[in-house]
Amino acid sequence: MRLLYQILWKDHSRAHLLGAFLGTLAGFVLLLAGIQFYMDIKVVLSENRDLLDPEYIVINKKVNIGNTLGLTVGGFTKEEFAEIEAQPFADQVAAFNSNEFPVQAYTEGEQVPNFITDLFFEAIPDEFIDVKSDDWQWDPEKGTIPVIIPQDYLNLYNFGFAPSQGLPQIPKGVLSMINFKLRLQGQGRGNYDDYNGRIVGFSNRVSSILVPLDFLEWANEKYGYFNKNDPSQIILVSKDPTDPNIIRFLEEKGYDTIREKLKSSRMNIILKFVISFLVIVAAIIIGLAFLVFLLSLQLMISRSSEKIRRLNKLGFHYREISRPYILLLFLLMAGITGLSLLLTSLLAGQLHETAEAWSLNISPSLHGIIYGTALGLILLISVANVAAIFISTKKLCK
Amino acid sequence: MTIRFEKMIPLPMLEQDTSGSEVWEAESLLLEQGLSYVVEAPSGRGKTSLLSVIYGIRTDYQGVVFMDDRELVSFTPRDWSLTRKSKLSFIFQGLELFDDLTALENIRLKNNMTAYHTEERITEMARALGIEPFLHRKAGILSFGQQQRVAIIRALCQPFNFLLADECFSHMDHENRLTAYDLIREECEARKAGLILTSLNETGLPNADVSLKL
Repeated sequence: MRLLYQILWKDHSRAHLLGAFLGTLAGFVLLLAGIQFYMDIKVVLSENRDLLDPEYIVINKKVNIGNTLGLTVGGFTKEEFAEIEAQPFADQVAAFNSNEFPVQAYTEGEQVPNFITDLFFEAIPDEFIDVKSDDWQWDPEKGTIPVIIPQDYLNLYNFGFAPSQGLPQIPKGVLSMINFKLRLQGQGRGNYDDYNGRIVGFSNRVSSILVPLDFLEWANEKYGYFNKNDPSQIILVSKDPTDPNIIRFLEEKGYDTIREKLKSSRMNIILKFVISFLVIVAAIIIGLAFLVFLLSLQLMISRSSEKIRRLNKLGFHYREISRPYILLLFLLMAGITGLSLLLTSLLAGQLHETAEAWSLNISPSLHGIIYGTALGLILLISVANVAAIFISTKKLCK
Repeated sequence: MTIRFEKMIPLPMLEQDTSGSEVWEAESLLLEQGLSYVVEAPSGRGKTSLLSVIYGIRTDYQGVVFMDDRELVSFTPRDWSLTRKSKLSFIFQGLELFDDLTALENIRLKNNMTAYHTEERITEMARALGIEPFLHRKAGILSFGQQQRVAIIRALCQPFNFLLADECFSHMDHENRLTAYDLIREECEARKAGLILTSLNETGLPNADVSLKL
């Protein structure tokens, strides 16, 4: 049926078809490159973030002047705690327990200068603590209280305080060996006990002075007489700290945390925003190009309407008459698919080279989803166009 | 195959005086395969309308038309396509040739659908009608008489039970007219097909079995 093609293809408009072709191609490349880029960055982000290692996030309420004046209390109520626990990004949640009695620490002996200070304790379940030590247990028989202090405290002393005051720097090991006493005071004069204290580790995760949870529960039972306050800090574990919902939730509730840890979450939000913008622009371009396509083919059909009527009179079925248009459509679509995949993979290769210079691991080949998206879209556009072709040729036939 | 009209009349004909018409005034009219019908009438009496109704191009009529025992209104696009490829052939008054194709390509367009005739037979028919030298010229630059002969040959390049010829000799001289008529009769007889031929007043066309007045 070469003659049929010869008759019907004569009425095409090269400018229209070329415009539609280039427009759709541009939209496709933009869309596919956007998806490819997004997938790559996602991988890079989670690699650097070490996704296997879940993030521990300590959150607290922002301190305001009301807290300072004692008008409001900055603790988390039971309801607020339950709400945080219910968030999909919070895999494990625990509140900080604190001491309900006065604590003092002091040193005795000749190796270290004497000092005495008021102190506080906090406790969280062991699985939230980044220090693993055999000494981290409370045995009432032995009466030694293991303590974990923040790494930052030691750094403050070693690199800030000690050099400026002409004091010696203390390595971790030595500090762990220093014995000091802890005085826990119950209600009433003279109602106190002294215990040995020992620093068993330094935490990078929790900025607090930690003691074992079972010890604190026991001590609160024994000495506690303060009013029970709502916990002022909450620790939660999130398997996916890149989840942008974490930041959204915290901001919505006015909670505070160490922002550094949620950098990837924040970055994810920005990235998602940029990519969605790209995808929307690509979708608009593809939509417009699709319209030009549709209209070009329809224009071609209506230019040929006399010929189509004539062919129908000679016995051609409208489906046979549609064939040249469908073949043309498929040729253009195949061209767009092939070219857009080629251009996108060239872009991906380019990006791969650039990223390699920054020692980022970006895939040099296209992700599977790219092929899926391209084929899916092409199929959608083709099906819609074929339907439109059938409708308009059928109208012309009897 | 038979074609049967039951009180069929195209809507525009209702406003005209059709008294004396053997078609529009008939209660029922049966056209049988194997017979040749000549429909003679002056312009505007509905010759083309009659053929167009049979061919499915016109549907604005009263009454019922049957092809064998099937009403034409029940035909789907597929039915019409099959019918026009193998049961009915039409020599259009307006010719319906593609000007950009050569005479031969116009003929092939039809012949390719069913591969009915060989190239030799097509050339033979063209030679008989005196248009063999023009087969490779674009149809658009041929004279109307020559184009009419191309259209006739094209219509003969398919199987059919009825051939509908609409004033197909109007621009030919007497001699060509007779040759073309002979070719048409010959091809119809080869298929044992019926012929329905309309004309203004084609005197001297022998061998028509039935003459109908519109």
